[in-house]
Amino acid sequence: MDKVYLCKISELAENQVKRIDNSEHGDIAVYNLGGNFYATADLCTHATASLAEGDIEEEMITCPVHWGQFHIPTGRAQGFPCETDLRTYPVEVEGDAIYALVEVAESALIAKC
Amino acid sequence: MSNIIKTIDVTDSLENLKDVCDIENGRIAGKIFYDQAIYEQELEKIFARCWLFVAHESQIPNTGDYVTTTMGEDEVIVIRQKDGGIKVFLNACPHRGNKVCFAESGTTRGFICNYHGWSFNVQGNLVGQHESGIYEASDFDKAKWGLKEVAQVDSWKGLVFATFDPQAPTLQEYLGPMTWYLDALFDNQEGGTEFVGGCIRSTYDCNWKIAAENFVGDILHAGWTHDSAARAMLGGSVAKVSDFEESYSVNWNGHGYEFALDTVGNVAVLGESALNKYLHTIKPSVAERLGEFRSNMIGAVSSCTIFPNFSFLAGQNTVRVWQPRGPNKIELFTWVVVNKSAPQEIKEKWRKGAMMTFSPTGVFEMDDGENWEYCTKTAKGRVTAAQDLYIGLGMNSRASDTSLPGNVFKGQLNEANARAYYQQWFDHLNAKSWKELPNRNFGKQEAE
Repeated sequence: MDKVYLCKISELAENQVKRIDNSEHGDIAVYNLGGNFYATADLCTHATASLAEGDIEEEMITCPVHWGQFHIPTGRAQGFPCETDLRTYPVEVEGDAIYALVEVAESALIAKC
Repeated sequence: MSNIIKTIDVTDSLENLKDVCDIENGRIAGKIFYDQAIYEQELEKIFARCWLFVAHESQIPNTGDYVTTTMGEDEVIVIRQKDGGIKVFLNACPHRGNKVCFAESGTTRGFICNYHGWSFNVQGNLVGQHESGIYEASDFDKAKWGLKEVAQVDSWKGLVFATFDPQAPTLQEYLGPMTWYLDALFDNQEGGTEFVGGCIRSTYDCNWKIAAENFVGDILHAGWTHDSAARAMLGGSVAKVSDFEESYSVNWNGHGYEFALDTVGNVAVLGESALNKYLHTIKPSVAERLGEFRSNMIGAVSSCTIFPNFSFLAGQNTVRVWQPRGPNKIELFTWVVVNKSAPQEIKEKWRKGAMMTFSPTGVFEMDDGENWEYCTKTAKGRVTAAQDLYIGLGMNSRASDTSLPGNVFKGQLNEANARAYYQQWFDHLNAKSWKELPNRNFGKQEAE
C-alpha cells in the first residue's frame, strides 16, 4: 500500500477536480464534493482524456472528450462509451494534506486486464 | 491557424453574361433565375466570397451558445467563445465529412461526430477520438485536424456576418455608408436589438435573387400585389407610395435601402395599433440619438437588402436570409427583431404581427411567394429565358444635391437599387478576385 500525497485542502475548492501527475501509479484525479474528498484514476477508461479537465455535475465527472460519465465515489461507468469502471482510491486527510491509498498489487492486476 | 479553410480555385467567368444582364440598357433575362451553370458560378464567386449574415448576437449570448445556418450551400456552426468572440466553423467533420451538429441552436461543450467519435471543443479544436490509441500510434497531429474555421467574422450592431474569403475587405468597408441607414432599425434605442422567438424556415421554388431584389428596392409591387392582404390587415389599401413627398432609393456595393419618411407606414400593416404608438413614443429619443431624418425611418414604408441575400423590413421587423438551394429553390430563414429595451408586450405583438404577415402562412409572404415562383418557373422555357426583362425605372433619378450618404436616388418607385444589385452580381461573376471588382459607387461615404 502506497500513501500518495495529492495536495492541500486549501488548493482544492468545493466541486473542483485536480490532476496529480504520478508516473508510478498513473495520474490521479482528486475531487472535492461538498467538503468530501475522493480520488480516482485521471485517465478515462474509454479513450485518451484527462478527467480532471472535465466537468463535475452532482456526483458525476463528465469526460471532456466524449462526455461519458463516471460516478466519482464508486468509479462506476455510466454507459456508452464509458463501459469500464474507473479505479478509485481511498482518501486520507491529515491536517491540511490529502493522501490517496494506492494498492500496488491491484495496479499490477489492472495492467494485465 | 492550420484549421483555417483551404481557399478554392477560382474558375473562369462565363462568357456572354452581358446577354442576360445588361444594366446600362436596363435589361436582364430570366436565364439568370434558372441556369445551373450560372448558379454554380454564384456559389463560387458570390457565396464563397462575400460577407454573409450568419446570426444575431442575441441568439448566442454565452460561451458555448451556437446556431447552425448556411453560407450559400455550405453548412456552418456559429458559436460563442470563452473570450466573448464568435467563431464560425464548417459543419463537417474533417475525417470523413459527416455533419457534426444536427440541431438548429443550443448550448454545448463541443461537437462529437456520430461516425468515428471525433470530438471538438467550443474553439473547434480536435480533443480526441474513439480508439484514440490507434491515432497516437499513427503519428497523428491532432492540432491540424480541428473543425475548419471560416476566414473572417465580424458584427455590426448585433448582426453577425462571416466570409469564407480571407481577401475580402473588412465588413465595415463592405457595408460602407449603408451602416448609417441600418442604424435606423438596429440602433435606434440604447441596448440595440434582439431576435425574439426562433427561426422560421420555409422553402420556395424561386431563385434567391428574385427575393433579394424584391427587398433591395421594389416597393412598386406592394400597392398591386398586396392590395387584398392590406385590406385584410388594415381594412384599407396599401399607402399610395407615389403620393409621398419625399422618398429615396439608396445603394452601395450592391446593397440597397428604399424608404419613405412616414415613420409608421410599414408597422401599420401588422394591424397592431400599440406598435404604431410605441414607435411614436420612442421617436423623440431616436431623433436625439440618430437625428431627425432617421427618426422618420424607424417603421416607415421601406425595405433593405445587404448583398447578396440578407434582407429586412423596418416596421414589420422581419429579418431574413434567402438561402440558395439550387437555381430555382430557396430555403427562407426568417426571424423577428425588436428593441431590447421595448416592453415585453410590445415584443410579443411584434412577434405575432410578423407571423400574421411575413411567415409561411403570412398574408404578405404568400402573395410574394406566388409571384417569385412564377418569375422563376417561366424561365424554364428555353426561349422565354432568353427574352429581355425590363429593369429601367428611374434611369435618370440620381439625387445630386443631397447630404445623405451612399449612392442616392430620388423616389422609392425606382429600379435604381435593383440595377445596382444586379450590376454587383454581374461584376462579381466577372471578377476573379476582390481587386478586379469595379468600384461603381459615386456617392458620399459619410452623412454630412
